[in-house]
Amino acid sequence: MSALLETRDVRKEYGGLVAVDAATLSVEEHSITALIGPNGAGKTTLFNVVSGFARPDSGSVLLGGERIDGRSPHAVARRGLVRTFQTPKALTRMSVLENMLLAAPRQPGEHVWRLLVTPRAGRVREREIRARALDLLRLVRLDGLARDYAGTLSGGQRKLLELARALMTEPRLVMLDEPMAGVNPTLGAQLLGRLEEWREEQGLTFLLIDHDLEAVMSISDRVIVMNDGRVIAAGTPANVRADPLVVEAYLGAHAGGAR
Amino acid sequence: MTILSLEFWAFVGVVAGIYTILALGLQVQFGFTGLLNFGHAAFMAVGAYTMAILVVKATFPLWAACLAALGAAIAFGLLLGLPTLRLRADYLAITTIAFAEIIRYVAINEQSLTGGPVGTIALAGAGRAASYNTEWLEVQRTVQGWLEALIGDSATRDVTMLVIVWTVALVLLVLVDAALRTPWGRVLRAIREDEDAASALGKNVFAYKLQSLALGAVLAAIAGLFFAFQFSFFSPGDFDPLVTFFAYTIVILGGAARNWALPVGALLFGLIFAGTRFFDFPPFTLFDSAERAYLRLIVIGLILIGLMLFRPQGLFGKREEMVLE
Repeated sequence: MSALLETRDVRKEYGGLVAVDAATLSVEEHSITALIGPNGAGKTTLFNVVSGFARPDSGSVLLGGERIDGRSPHAVARRGLVRTFQTPKALTRMSVLENMLLAAPRQPGEHVWRLLVTPRAGRVREREIRARALDLLRLVRLDGLARDYAGTLSGGQRKLLELARALMTEPRLVMLDEPMAGVNPTLGAQLLGRLEEWREEQGLTFLLIDHDLEAVMSISDRVIVMNDGRVIAAGTPANVRADPLVVEAYLGAHAGGAR
Repeated sequence: MTILSLEFWAFVGVVAGIYTILALGLQVQFGFTGLLNFGHAAFMAVGAYTMAILVVKATFPLWAACLAALGAAIAFGLLLGLPTLRLRADYLAITTIAFAEIIRYVAINEQSLTGGPVGTIALAGAGRAASYNTEWLEVQRTVQGWLEALIGDSATRDVTMLVIVWTVALVLLVLVDAALRTPWGRVLRAIREDEDAASALGKNVFAYKLQSLALGAVLAAIAGLFFAFQFSFFSPGDFDPLVTFFAYTIVILGGAARNWALPVGALLFGLIFAGTRFFDFPPFTLFDSAERAYLRLIVIGLILIGLMLFRPQGLFGKREEMVLE
């Protein structure tokens, strides 16, 4: 296995507050990796840096060996890195299906010149992506709502739509920011199980943020732990669980509280 | 002029047609892309002035001057958009107002270029009344000839202009409506909803905003051309910020992102605007005619407030879209 995503000494400050400090990590290709840590550990900031929404103050980000730090979000997305947001960003006054269709790559109908020169190509592509969009909606049980405004969905349904929409981009790496927050637990567990299938079938790599450790431990091959903007541990779930630093910084609070 | 004169209502119709085209540009930018452009009137001015200056000063043929006017509108759209489209919505609104006022003040003060505050009649310099309209009147007479064959004596100059303006307005409406239904239009709507989501899905938000601004600018310039043709001469005062707000009124009156509501909104606006001229009965006779001219602005304001209170989605908008978050 090789690293699909690497960050090297990434640092990001916001007005004197160091949100991410010398973060070095790697995400293996075809893995399901969890990025965990208490609230305020810098997980979302690191997500923003990696996905192009924030520029690192120093350090570098590599996707498949190519530097992507400093590139704009759409350029990063086109290289196959798609992300979701902690608060889901449903396009509310568009239908659920339109949310999906929008995400499809290589739609010639999105470009003025190609619309004018080869108007048919856009329609052909539209039929292809429509079939795929409906398939994905079925997987997250939103196919019955395809024609509804996305703004009528519940918070949990919006999370699911965002996940399906992310897969629609035909990505290599899917970065999910608290994907199961607010999703009904039964469906959430099923979907986490699905990630493994998608990894096998479509050769995907997943990087998940969660602060609920147990929820992601069971499905992750690797776990990366952040605290106070730093990466403090990385390894298999079992190794991470046993790491004294992790126990102290993160599990310690829970374990201590439970006893 | 009486309330029943065909001439008068043809005039109201022409103005409504011009405003339909102007509002269509705003619809693309504001209704579909979410760009708060408060400087729309400036693009109308750029179109009208570019054409007039090229015809009078450079003796361009009319068709070439009109094409150049559209090109100038695109160029000014890019000029405005390149530095400002990365700004958040409210800051964009402020910079577009400033941009429009710069254009207007340049038109007022650069007398040698624009004729200054008295308008295009001074384009050829002191002592010579300039006209850019000669070639247009020929075009209009030709069309009038065709119309006479169809409807006889009713085909007056005003009716001819009415037919030309509305034909162009409806063709543009069909074309823009079709464009907005393509995947390209879908990207614009996605940007309106959430530009971070659109860019996370690989859409070059900045490029699409520029295209939207440029298309809206071209439509405003076309409205500017017809405005120039209709009135035979114009001055910087014709493009003050009120014009932009009238265009917003039409977009909001019909319902944002409802293309076919635009002509209805524009006609309604024209009726209210022109109809208030006939308030020559009590209690309006308490005011003299100059005061009554301002009364119409108050009436339009009241109607807008009432609409926002009782039908915030506009006449044809969908209520359920207003409550989505």
